[in-house]
Amino acid sequence: MPRSHRRARPKRKQSAAVIGALIALVMVIVVGGCLCWAIYQGISTTASLFQEDSVDENGAAILRVAYSPEKEEMFVRLVEDYNQADHQTADGRALRVHPIRMESDAMLLGAMNGEFEAMSPDSSIWLHQLDQLHAEQVSDPNAFLVSQTRHYAISPIVIAIWKDAALELGWPDRALGWNSLVNHALANPDFTWSHPSTASASGLLATLAEFYAASGVTRGLTPEDLQKPETIARLQQMEGTVSYYGEGEWAIAQQVNERGREYLDAFVAQEQLVVWLNQQGHEIIAIYPVEGSLWEDHPLALLEIEGLTNDQRLAFEEFASYLESPEAQAGVLDSGYRPADLNLDLKGEHSPLKATNGVNPDEPRTTMQLPGAQVIDQVRNVWWLIKRKTNVYLVVDTSGSMEGKKLFNVREALMTFVNQIEGVDERVGLIEFWGDVDTLVPLDRLGNNRDALLGAIDGLEAGGDTALLDGVTRAYKELQLLNDWERINAIVVMTDGQENASHISIWDLTEKLSRGNQTGAPVVVFAIAYGRDADYGTLEQLAESSGGQVREGTVETIRELYKILSTYF
Amino acid sequence: MNRTRWIFFAIVGMAVAIVVVGIIVLAPSSGDQYTPPGREEIDTNQAVEISVVTALSIEPWIRDAANQFNQDRHILEDTGQPINVTIIPMDGLAAKSRLEREEMDPMPTAWIPDSRYLTELVNATFKERLGRDVFLTDGEYRGRPVAITLLAWGIYESRAQALEQTYGAINWQAIHDAAVNPDGWDALGGKEEWGFFKLAISNPRKNVSGLGAMVAAAGGYYDRTGISVEDVNSNDFQDWLAEIMSSMSDLSGGTYTVQDLALFGYTTGDAGQLLESDLLLNMEGIQTRWADPLRIVYPQYVTWFDFPFTVWIGPETTASQKNAALVFEEYLLSDPIQQRALAYGLRPVSPNIPVDGTDSLFIRWESQGAQTVIPRTTAMRSPDRDVLQDLLRFFDLRVAGR
Repeated sequence: MPRSHRRARPKRKQSAAVIGALIALVMVIVVGGCLCWAIYQGISTTASLFQEDSVDENGAAILRVAYSPEKEEMFVRLVEDYNQADHQTADGRALRVHPIRMESDAMLLGAMNGEFEAMSPDSSIWLHQLDQLHAEQVSDPNAFLVSQTRHYAISPIVIAIWKDAALELGWPDRALGWNSLVNHALANPDFTWSHPSTASASGLLATLAEFYAASGVTRGLTPEDLQKPETIARLQQMEGTVSYYGEGEWAIAQQVNERGREYLDAFVAQEQLVVWLNQQGHEIIAIYPVEGSLWEDHPLALLEIEGLTNDQRLAFEEFASYLESPEAQAGVLDSGYRPADLNLDLKGEHSPLKATNGVNPDEPRTTMQLPGAQVIDQVRNVWWLIKRKTNVYLVVDTSGSMEGKKLFNVREALMTFVNQIEGVDERVGLIEFWGDVDTLVPLDRLGNNRDALLGAIDGLEAGGDTALLDGVTRAYKELQLLNDWERINAIVVMTDGQENASHISIWDLTEKLSRGNQTGAPVVVFAIAYGRDADYGTLEQLAESSGGQVREGTVETIRELYKILSTYF
Repeated sequence: MNRTRWIFFAIVGMAVAIVVVGIIVLAPSSGDQYTPPGREEIDTNQAVEISVVTALSIEPWIRDAANQFNQDRHILEDTGQPINVTIIPMDGLAAKSRLEREEMDPMPTAWIPDSRYLTELVNATFKERLGRDVFLTDGEYRGRPVAITLLAWGIYESRAQALEQTYGAINWQAIHDAAVNPDGWDALGGKEEWGFFKLAISNPRKNVSGLGAMVAAAGGYYDRTGISVEDVNSNDFQDWLAEIMSSMSDLSGGTYTVQDLALFGYTTGDAGQLLESDLLLNMEGIQTRWADPLRIVYPQYVTWFDFPFTVWIGPETTASQKNAALVFEEYLLSDPIQQRALAYGLRPVSPNIPVDGTDSLFIRWESQGAQTVIPRTTAMRSPDRDVLQDLLRFFDLRVAGR
């Protein structure tokens, strides 16, 4: 027995060891299984994250389409109508379009970053630029990002001009064009006209027209033509007649609608906006330049970006087909565009393209030659050098109410503004106001003071009352002293509160602005009402008395707003 | 069996159960399960999905046919499965580039390029890479044309009359002389308000018809159908061609098509060598939108486009898909579908379908110069790869200014 006891005890120990090992094995299997499960879940989640851009929470295939702002009203309506029609894949999943508003030139970067699968800029020029960028990126001239392109609405670029002003120019007996416009502006300093910056097709094409006129050629524009001193000198003279630039033709048209002829005598835009302005009750006519026009063709293009799904291809096809449908095309014509459906009669009874709306569907007769992508690139670069320069004072509210996130975001916005202006010859200064006024950075070329401006902006602090009018007065006095007729003179003032500490009254200041602008070099006030408590009425009076405008901004939008305003200079 | 063994087996049983449950839970869904070759279980309700990358100029006809094909629920005889066709429209040059760069995702089952020389170019690329063709030239999977068309002059009537008055006939030399005239239409028998002569041809980097037009121009210059590398690199020829192409209204990289000629009218193009099928298809719209009708003029040297239906031979697509593609190809070659090609301005390849048959746009637009019979003796021969590469290089350097 003792022996068997001695033998039995080790046996139990062995069994216990085996059981322990087995339990350990089971635990390893269980833990391993759990780990596998977790990894599997993780992979699934990651995969779904990759797919989330192409599919919404209901499983619908999403096609993201970037569109340019000037056609927002029509485009968004078309998208809504398309989405409501409930298009589906063969297996019953919805196909939906998600519109993204974006300036045409900004679409280039967005497309390269894969932010959307399709785009509808104002002109095909941007598609060609995009393909060139892509080809350079992958070092293959045969590589294209743009695949299918469809047209649904087009509109020629025209000189939109008040009828009275057109009559002064000799319309309708005389054929008018880019040269007659610029010559008239040179001979009449009171004549105000504008074209958008080269970030939009109408701005780019107006600039191109000036390049043709200045270089004395009508086609075959070369990089050498753009560098000739006499061409540059003539261009500077032409651009010197531009009152100011702006973020785009739609914004200009809205201002013309609100302010009438006092805002501008003429501007460059697509024909559709002339129709729209006439429908708002204005008498504006479209001049189709005799030297040749160009088209805003609003292409809808599919991009061959990585991860493009078959469902998204199908959504593109369905959406494009919808845009080409008789129903959508009739809506396109109603909006004042020329529809791609050639069977729709532009001169039909219900067509808005008629003389009473200032347009002529038989025009234009010819177009200018669109040069190669490299020349276009150079046109944009040279424009920054020869465009009308600016003296602009940034006048910033740093009163107590600006404390916290408000001031933080304004700092960011001001930095964006300063960095957004590409030229080094633009003059920018910075003034802050609270209970008092301080010129933080005097007006100087950005080539000299960009760093000083960024440093001063970074150091802005909040506190005290709001001497808004004194701040504007300081900037105005300094600009008046310069009396610089060659440059655009402007004040960009921002406040979030009510005026309560200035020495000058609003009446005296607006009187000073109106009178001063008649005798000396005009100064335009662009005002930003920041938040709900901003003194909108005072800002409106300042803007109106100087021919400027007021914009409303919030903590969320202030940065974008300053960015937009930078396009005016 | 003692208790220890019971515990032992119980634990092993639990472990096995956990593993089995785990496998069941983690296993992919039945649709993704691996099935060994030869033991494929076929669900006859599951459609064989095929995608066909299609040249843009033929896409409306092919899409129309594919919709009808899908509706009719054609069956793959080997497996009894229905076939579903998806059409992916893509220009021939873009498709060639994406195939060569292996960027097609998913790989299409078949490709209908504008011309067989595109498949030959892709084959040449893959022969270097894989040592074999990816599009077969014989056997049941060989490329077979499904319709044909050609490049013809499309010219606005008023401009045609002015050119004929000045030069007698419309040909590449007349176009050249009009293009280089410094005084524009005013000196060409037209009106000053028409501006300069504007040539409408597609960008050869983005559209095969543009490249075809350059080949046709070389034929016109040398007065023969075969063009060599020496021919296209001759300085005299390049100067002559550059002068013609300098009159293109858009050098920014756009793909000018007949649709553009119709949409923007004579404002962007007075005349151009473009696809006959597109010219016929857009004729009615042009007459509605523009005061001036369009006239078709056939050139002396004709460039043909034969739209071969070619099946991708590679492991990316299954045997069922390849066979399903052949079923669709047969459908495109069937008489009813060939008949419908006429309504799209295309010339059927089926000998049973006359070009002047019902729905023929050739008859409808005879008054505008459309012809049913074209002399084939002056058809340009397919140029070799180096000729095409040199023409593209010339375009980049001398015309687009890249």
